[in-house]
This record gives sequence, C-alpha cells and structure tokens, in this order.
Amino acid sequence: MRRARRWRAALLEAAVAGGALLCVAPVALIFVTALKPDAEIVHFRSLWPQSPTLASFREILGNPEEIPILRWFANSVLVSSGVTVLVLAVTSSAAYAFARLDPPGKRTLFAIVVGAMMVPGQVLLVPTYLILNRLGWLDTPLALIVPAGASAFGFFLLHQFFLGVPRELEEAAAIDGCSRLGVFLRVVLPLSRPAVATLAIFTFAGAWNDFLGPLVFLDSVDRYTLPVGLALFQTSYYAEYGLTLAASVLCTLPVLLAFLAFQKHIIEGIALTGLKD
Amino acid sequence: MKSGRRRDWSAYLFALPFLALFGAFVAAPVLYGLGLSMTRWELLSREPAVFAGADNFREALSDPYFWKALAATFRFVALATPATVLLALVAALGLHALRGRRQSLYRAAYFAPTLITISVAGILWRWFYNSEFGLFNALLAPFGLKAPWLTDPAWAMPSIALMTVWWTLGGPVVVLLAGLQQIPAPYLEAAELDGAGPWQRLRSVTLPLLRPVLLFVVVLNVIGAFQVFGQVYMITRGGPEMTTRTLVQYVYETAFNNYRMGYAAALSWLLFAIIAALSVAQFRLMRER
Repeated sequence: MRRARRWRAALLEAAVAGGALLCVAPVALIFVTALKPDAEIVHFRSLWPQSPTLASFREILGNPEEIPILRWFANSVLVSSGVTVLVLAVTSSAAYAFARLDPPGKRTLFAIVVGAMMVPGQVLLVPTYLILNRLGWLDTPLALIVPAGASAFGFFLLHQFFLGVPRELEEAAAIDGCSRLGVFLRVVLPLSRPAVATLAIFTFAGAWNDFLGPLVFLDSVDRYTLPVGLALFQTSYYAEYGLTLAASVLCTLPVLLAFLAFQKHIIEGIALTGLKD
Repeated sequence: MKSGRRRDWSAYLFALPFLALFGAFVAAPVLYGLGLSMTRWELLSREPAVFAGADNFREALSDPYFWKALAATFRFVALATPATVLLALVAALGLHALRGRRQSLYRAAYFAPTLITISVAGILWRWFYNSEFGLFNALLAPFGLKAPWLTDPAWAMPSIALMTVWWTLGGPVVVLLAGLQQIPAPYLEAAELDGAGPWQRLRSVTLPLLRPVLLFVVVLNVIGAFQVFGQVYMITRGGPEMTTRTLVQYVYETAFNNYRMGYAAALSWLLFAIIAALSVAQFRLMRER
C-alpha cells in the first residue's frame, strides 16, 4: 500500500517535471543556440553546440552603426523604469486616497476605473495614436511612458492591499503628529511592500516586453525599444539566426533575472489579483 | 466618525495625478474612438474627418476581409483557449500534489515562457517551424517525417495556437494553483473518509469549489485570445492566404498601413462588442450550471 503510493507520487512528479521541461526547453534553447556558429544552426546535428562560440555576440555588439542594439537596450531601460516609477507614484497615492480618505464621488469613479480594465487595448490604440500626435509626443519616449501611468490594474491591486492595512497603526501615527502624507509614506507604503514589489516587477516586465505600443508610436530606428528593434532586425537579418538569437538573449536576460530575484513576491501577487473582492 | 465623515475634497490631491492620466489616456480615447468609428477619415488624404454615422459598421458587415479575419480569430480561440485551460488545470493539479521547494521550482519553470517578449518568442518559433532547417523538422527527419508548419493554410493557425499555448500557459497555471490551495483540506478529507476515490474527489469536491477561479481563468483567456496580435505579426504576418490574419492584425493594417482611422476604430469597437458579449455569456453559463 505504502509502496504503491510512493510509486504513484514518483510518477506524478515525473509528469509534472516533464511538462516543466517542455516549457523551459525553448527558453534554454535561446541561450544554448546563440552559442552555435550559423552552420550548426542551419544543419541541425545536436541540441548542444559542437564548437561553441561568442562570435554572434561579438558581431551584434560590435556593429552599432547597423545594429544599434545597445541604444535599443538603453531605450528599453529608460522607458521601462520611467513607466514603473510613474505607475507606482500615481497609482499608490490614488489608491490610498480611495482606500482611506473619502473623496466625493468615490464610488462612481472607482466603478469607472475598475470597469475600464475590461476595455481591450486595441480599442484605445487608434485614438491614443491620434491624441499623442496632437501632443507632439509621437516618436518620443513620452508616448510610451505617460499613457502607461493610467494603470487601472495597478490602482486596483494597491487599493485592495491598502484596505488590508490595519487602521490602528495609521491612527496611532496620526496621534503622534504624523501628517497625512507622512502616514501614507511612512506607514501604509512600507506595510504594503509585497504589493508594491509585485506591481513594480509586473509593470517593469510589461513595459519591457510591450510590443504593440512601440511598434505603433515610434518611427526612428534609434528610438526603438528592444522588442521592436528585434522585430525590425529579424526582417532584415532573417537568415542569420545566430545574430538574432544572440540579440534575443540580451533582450531576455534582464527580465529573467528580475523575475528570479522577485519570484516569491510575484507569485504571491498574481495569486491575489482578481481572486479577492 | 464613520457615518458623519465630512466629504474630503483634499483627498483629490492624492488622486489627481492618476485621475488626470486616466482621463486623458483611457476615458478620452474610449470616447474619441467611439466618435472616430462614426467618421470617415483617411489620414493620408489630408481631407478633414467627415461624420459618417453607421457607414463604417455597415461597410464592415459587407467586407469579406472582415469576415475572414473574424473567422480566423474564432478559429484561433477555439484551438488555443480549451487547450491552454485544460493543460493548465492538469499542470496545476499535478503541482498541487507536490510540496515546498520542488513545487515552487516547477511553478517557476511553467511561468518562464510568459516572461519572454513576443519578438523573441516569435523569432524562436519561426526557427522551430522553418520547413528547411527548422528544429521541429530536424527532430522529425530521422522518422522520415516533414511538416508544412507555416506554409500550408491548414497547418498555419494550429501552429500559431501551439506556440501560444506554450507562451501563455504559465499565468493560468499559477492562478489555478492558487485557487486549489484555497480549497480547505477538511472538505477533501471528509470525502476520502466517505470512501471517495481520487477521481471522484476531483469531480465532486475540487472542481465545483474551483469554479469561480476557473471562470476567471477562462474569461481572461478568451479575452486575451480574441486580441491575438504579436504571434501573428511576428510569425506569419497573416499568411498563408490570409488564413492567420486575425481581427487585431486587420485593425493594425487598416490603421497603420492604409491609414483608414475611422474604419479601424469601427473594427476595434466590433471586436470589443464581441468580447464583451462573450464574457457576459460565459458568466451567465457558468452561474446557471
């Protein structure tokens, strides 16, 4: 009986591990294959490179005139951190106002903002393009950073977390002479660190990986972010898989590292979004 | 204090920056888009936008490319969503039976593809699917097999769906696992004491209790699947023979290749109407059962 159970557990874990391997293998292949010379990619013999080389990385990094990949990398860093800072600043203070203070018309506004999460991004795409055109922001980082600040998702997530912060702590701080801003900055925010960290990494990864936005709002090649730069790159170098994969490694690594560093917070955060009311 | 709290206008100092951005970049575009969908506006012709009433919507209904794109979109959803949700449920059940560090290790593995940006994922799978030197056909070659992954109209959409299942499985796995972990253990223990086998416990305890979370996952997945764009744009550009040109791809081409802004806005509102109607229908269906 116990033996049968142990067998069953081993079988189950093997199945789960097999699925996990199928998911990770393509990701790992990006890294392994980027080390192959082109000939080995085109004439497939084994998954592992037979004569590993960094040639593709050298070529892609050493050719800034044709392939401004470091420029794209810098643009991606600028846009993603800009979006993250802006989203955290505006959604946290608004979520605090809605969770703790009592602005008139709160219920209606809250319903509108949360309801807006259901509008698909494509409905906004054409009008946003035209508004950005009016503002003269097309083809600048502003076009990607400022609209992203209107994150209903971030507002909703933090709002739900702030509701769970014990009121007593805030009241005690207020009695000790802490201003309203002080209560928010020194009590509420530190207590909600997991939620803030979750939102930060979500927002950063979302902005880093965003494709449609930069594709539509940017024009000049040297303003591109990595994903769109890569897509352009792929159309002109589609036959050179070594180069394309080396570029993909450079694009994937930062998000993967950030994810591993924040893993625990992220997973807790996802589990909480949308499931509690 | 609770009931008599005075209306607090100064609270808006905290909320103002967010509400201003929301107004400018969510509320305004939604209304602007609705207005646009009722105008005739070709961005290149330099002629001013003209009110056109329901013309754009009428044009869409008699536009064979719209119907073809709509059919392609439904085909994609029918291929990708059931496979994703079912596989995610199986994976979550398996993960739930494991404990501690091993569980979080495997969970991270299932989640990893979700972190890959679409251009990288697209480049990778184009290589996998390439009929000359692609990885899949190289792996099939020893068995004397060769598949027209992206070149055959009948194969292209299933290939896109397969790639999508890989790319999007992680989110549903994590959410369903969290849902499973919320089910109180005593329920399952009581069923076991009553002599219910594993299969029966799954059917009569776990799945019914998981239903709200499952509904959340299904609705979100359907919404996401209807908006499929990046995969198509990167891997097939809508080909072969437009069999993978989905609605969003069509909206994108209409707006930014042909600069027909009014018509593109109308097409995206039609997509929105379909998604909203289906979401409501799913909620109804799941609630009644």
